[in-house]
Amino acid sequence: MREQRDRLAGFLPEWLPPGAAIVGALAVLSTCVLLAGAARATPNEKSMWTFARPHYLMYEPRVEAWNKSGKTPFDLRLLSLPAMERRMMAAFLGDVPSADVLEVERRGVSRTFGGPVESVGFYDLTDRLEKEGLLEEINAPSFSPWTTRGRIFGLPHDVHPVMLGYRADLVEAAGIDVSKIETWEDFARVMKPLMADTDHDGKPDRYLLNMWETNQDHLEVLLLQAGGGFFDENEKPTLDSAINVHILATIVTWLAGPNRIAADAPNFTAAGNKLKADGYVVASFFPDWMGDIWKHEIPSLSGKMKLMPLPAWERGGRRTSVWGGTMLGIPKTAVKSPKDFETLWSFCKELYISDQFMRDLYREGGIVTPVKKYWTDPIFDEPNAYFSGQPAGRLYIDLAPAVPMRNSSPYNTFAMYRVVDALVQMTEEARATGRYDMQALEARARVFLGEAQRQVENVLKRNVFLESSEGGAS
Amino acid sequence: MSLRVSRLFAWIWTRGILLIAGIITLIPFFWLLASSFKSNEEFFRSTFLPVEGGRIVWERLTTDPFKRLFQELNFSNSLTNSVFLSSVTGVVATLCCAMGGYSLAKFRFKGRGFCTALVLAAVLIPAPLIIAPTYQLLYRMDLLDSFAGLILPALAPAFGVFLFRQAIVSGVPNDLLEAARIDGAGEWRTFVTVVLPLVRPMIGTFLMVTFLAMWNNFIAPQVVLQDPSKFPLSVAVAELRRGYYNDYGLQMAGTIVSILPVMALFLVMQKDFVSGLTSGAVKA
Repeated sequence: MREQRDRLAGFLPEWLPPGAAIVGALAVLSTCVLLAGAARATPNEKSMWTFARPHYLMYEPRVEAWNKSGKTPFDLRLLSLPAMERRMMAAFLGDVPSADVLEVERRGVSRTFGGPVESVGFYDLTDRLEKEGLLEEINAPSFSPWTTRGRIFGLPHDVHPVMLGYRADLVEAAGIDVSKIETWEDFARVMKPLMADTDHDGKPDRYLLNMWETNQDHLEVLLLQAGGGFFDENEKPTLDSAINVHILATIVTWLAGPNRIAADAPNFTAAGNKLKADGYVVASFFPDWMGDIWKHEIPSLSGKMKLMPLPAWERGGRRTSVWGGTMLGIPKTAVKSPKDFETLWSFCKELYISDQFMRDLYREGGIVTPVKKYWTDPIFDEPNAYFSGQPAGRLYIDLAPAVPMRNSSPYNTFAMYRVVDALVQMTEEARATGRYDMQALEARARVFLGEAQRQVENVLKRNVFLESSEGGAS
Repeated sequence: MSLRVSRLFAWIWTRGILLIAGIITLIPFFWLLASSFKSNEEFFRSTFLPVEGGRIVWERLTTDPFKRLFQELNFSNSLTNSVFLSSVTGVVATLCCAMGGYSLAKFRFKGRGFCTALVLAAVLIPAPLIIAPTYQLLYRMDLLDSFAGLILPALAPAFGVFLFRQAIVSGVPNDLLEAARIDGAGEWRTFVTVVLPLVRPMIGTFLMVTFLAMWNNFIAPQVVLQDPSKFPLSVAVAELRRGYYNDYGLQMAGTIVSILPVMALFLVMQKDFVSGLTSGAVKA
């Protein structure tokens, strides 16, 4: 080896290490390969970016049909979510074009709402939505993540009501009747027999709920269900509200201590899927889009799962919440003339507001359309084999009108993590002190959430645009 | 205990510790390799190799993830893109940084101190901070979605210029440069025949560092490149994890494809790399 190396070095200039020569050769070779295959396809006139493969696969034939119909042709591109958000933010901040139509996830959109409302990078769709009657046709809560200071910047894709997906095989084998569950207290009491320690290792064989202290999505689902959250309708932070205090204290008792019912089987990971398949957790939060993911990731649970409305926080309370959300937005830089807008708007409506889309959305993604007139379609009554023959669509639609409104504040994520910090601190403290009585936990929640509230207020104070705006951000 | 026995004991002890450390280090790589030959179903069935009744069931392993990478997902294209971006950037950036470092180290010109301070200040700016202005600049220069948009900003990194400046200040005597000039060498010849051989270890090291940095560069290609046919491996592998669906075997195979070439290169260049890192550590 050394001999060959020295022989190679003999051909090279004194200053050039053999490894560098190899890299140089690779540079020349790869340049030749790229030049040889440099035929470049002419891009279509307009472009759309999406971040979700299921959406991409759903839209592909529709965009193809659109392009063949003689209308302005579109290129559809699939990007990862971080790539999409980075490009979108870079383009908005630099005031340069990105794609002509962007399909964006909720947290990415709220980042664009930090400045003056007239400087939001998306085209304001409020007047058009109103003029075409879409404000009435679409489920109102679906607009909330795309609304800032009374203006709407996106066409909603979904409603995303949340139910509880549970292991019907385990629950029914234990003779448990879930119809007796109305509240979270009922849930813990009625399901408790499933936490037996049959292998006598000193720990329950399984836990009732898939939840852990650092999961911000689950926490937000529960806070929104209870009527809590991070900001009020005037964009004022409400992290230390009485509701949040009570919910956080209750969640601590789920996560640790003698009445623990929750454990972590992380979502979207191989390890979490294995735990779910093994029955480590009985129930998980199930927005309408989650069923399709489980169907692909954990096919072994087909016919073993069922859905039920979320247990309420109090009798007669809300039985659902909301998780996730996507919109179609038109960047301002894409609209150079009224004709441009009409082209892009009709493309957006073709993708999101047609009956064909409603069916594709449900059949391929299990997602319920936000367009209310389609909710009576028989497709939603079809039995779903994964959920043991339950009509999953109908169950979600029954809950859709009760989905809570959300806030579109650019500080939502910051606030959410401050509340997660509070929950983590409370849980750790409770584990260390062994104090799990609600009074003590609520007292600590007030302290931690008070600190979180101050942190969010301090950050908010720096934003003169939101601070001075009438009616807040949403 | 005799000296021989104690030496043997020390030998076994040292090798034993190294062997255990080596095995621990290699376990994740072995897991990665084993997983790259599995279907999604098999991925959940066995942790390492599929074993049944005490024997390995080779039939349950498959090369499908690799076939899919190269046949369906056109990974060879991404591999070429990565090789191109990394090697071209590595070679040209090394040359540019060496020239920049040489001029700052050995030439006296107006504003030299200011330029050196500017280079030093540039080292301090975090890269994510300049994503938006860079994006705007590249758009204005019509360099978005082009390889040039990635290569040009990486041609003279401040870190490299400063590194070569330091290497030349301490490793290239002024007398030698004057002797070369007296012998009639022009500036280019002096640079190539006198300066570069004296900073040879730094060339290998910096080339390797730049090559690896570009090979592993993720954010910049993700933002600048928009056409999937131009994606390098770092982005192509990340794109295998789409939203919520995962084909784990495919992801592991993609990771294997993306780390093997750099591992091979490191093996070839490790001598230059290590000598560059330690150059100047001990005064001759």
